[in-house]
Amino acid sequence: MAPAALFLAAFVLWPLVRFVSNAFYDISPIAGGPRTPVGLQNFIDAFASASFQGASVRTVVYTFVVVSLEFAIGLVVALIFAALGRRSAVFRTVFMYPLMIAPVVAGLLWRFLLVDNFGIVNEILVRAGILESSSQVGWLSDPKIALFSVALPDIWLTTSFITLVLFAGLQTIPGEILEAARIDGARFPTMLFRVIIPLLRPVIAVALIVRGIDAARAFDIILIQTNGGPQESTTTLSLLIYRTMTRYGDIGLASAMGTIYLIGMLLVASVAVTAIWRPGEAR
Amino acid sequence: MNGIETRRRSTKAILYVLLAVILVLYGFPFVYLLLTSFKTPSEAIAVPPSVVPDVWTLENYVAALAKEGVVPALVNSVVTAVLSTLFSLVLAVPAAYAVTRYRTPSGRVFVLAALVTRMVPTIAIGAPLVETMRALGISDTSFALAIAHTTISLPLSIWLMASFFEAIPDELEEAAKMDGASRLGALWRVVLPVVSGGLAVTAIFAFLASWNEFLFALLLTSVRAQTTPIVIANFQTQFGLDWGAMTALAAVYSLPVILLTLALQRHIVAGLTLGAVKG
Repeated sequence: MAPAALFLAAFVLWPLVRFVSNAFYDISPIAGGPRTPVGLQNFIDAFASASFQGASVRTVVYTFVVVSLEFAIGLVVALIFAALGRRSAVFRTVFMYPLMIAPVVAGLLWRFLLVDNFGIVNEILVRAGILESSSQVGWLSDPKIALFSVALPDIWLTTSFITLVLFAGLQTIPGEILEAARIDGARFPTMLFRVIIPLLRPVIAVALIVRGIDAARAFDIILIQTNGGPQESTTTLSLLIYRTMTRYGDIGLASAMGTIYLIGMLLVASVAVTAIWRPGEAR
Repeated sequence: MNGIETRRRSTKAILYVLLAVILVLYGFPFVYLLLTSFKTPSEAIAVPPSVVPDVWTLENYVAALAKEGVVPALVNSVVTAVLSTLFSLVLAVPAAYAVTRYRTPSGRVFVLAALVTRMVPTIAIGAPLVETMRALGISDTSFALAIAHTTISLPLSIWLMASFFEAIPDELEEAAKMDGASRLGALWRVVLPVVSGGLAVTAIFAFLASWNEFLFALLLTSVRAQTTPIVIANFQTQFGLDWGAMTALAAVYSLPVILLTLALQRHIVAGLTLGAVKG
């Protein structure tokens, strides 16, 4: 345990301590430049900044969209797999493949699919008679819908994870319980909401928390599609922090934003753990 | 046979159709990427787009691989991912073993702390790491990038290996120790062979985490150690929007790991779900 603990201390904890402490300084972007302690000024600036507020809201919306759609699709597919039993093995394999693809590749691929004019998605919608012209919907160029469009590759990439976790959880539900419910005359929706989902609660909690954390950190998949645009409509916190640090060179402010983000994540995650994980409690 | 499996033929038929529709939707994006990579560069961006190439050609592959920095980046990706996988396993195996075998409170805190590292935004570690690597004199090397990637894969590796070790009965080691093996000897000769499947899974996850990583690579490398995801991302700015070459390089980069992992998929599913289902 010691070597791993030392490694994490040196390359995670120590950088993190430096990052958080940077939040209390005004730091010159030139390497070796002056550091002036400014107390909580960076935090005050961060909370007061419209882009920080906007990015926070967008991060929450993005995470909510990704996780709720992934959960809905993931659960439906997991139930289909379970209902088909052993025969579903081949389908499970195929369904898993996007998990291996780099987010950068997924982002570029979806940008290619969604682009107006030569994008295949709009072309299919035109052929199906849903759209009139292939430039009618600008998935990634219309600020009103861009935040939802950039979420598509993330959903495509990682729904399989939720499906696999829920499928494995479904295997652990004893057949007798479902049989008993069936004999009591329970129909499928009742079984799903009264028996299956409550029994799966710890598994669902793990799947949602893991995916929620990762979706809230999403960076490359958004960067490669829109670079935060159009008009900042897809600038989530991770992009804003990156830009504040590298493009504007304001290390202190970026560190304050990152620190607030981290504290927020810890709070939400611990609330989520206690609220939905808690095993053994009557629903 | 699980409790949910349906027995009615008609229900099964409907479910198969539904599943087929979902899989076509799910599989289409990557199939389309592969098909596009075999089109001519101009057909790749033709209006309206075609699905199947009019002319099948390897032009995009030749163009992509001939671009400056592409082949070195592929080599860098392999070197970095292999190094990071090694670091991850060497550190995770003893740590996970200690946590599961000694069951101390500090062990639990350690596993929890390892999981919390997952919540830290990459940039929060990446930016200070740039200075650390400069101070260590290893800026822009695969070695430094592999260390950074290990910060991502190590917590997951410890978690995975711990669940594999949990599954081994204590008696197995007791027997080995009765036969005179030391604790380390028992780990090396008795326990590790039993969890070889788990080791393979953990290795694959560590490899993929490094192979697909972007932000650390962006921050910590400039020329020499640049990995392929950065080069793929640069296709859009440096060379204009070269979609044809992009799809070809994306295919070259993604297909081997997809095929490899699909070949080993039974183990991987086990690894993915083990920790979660045990709760």
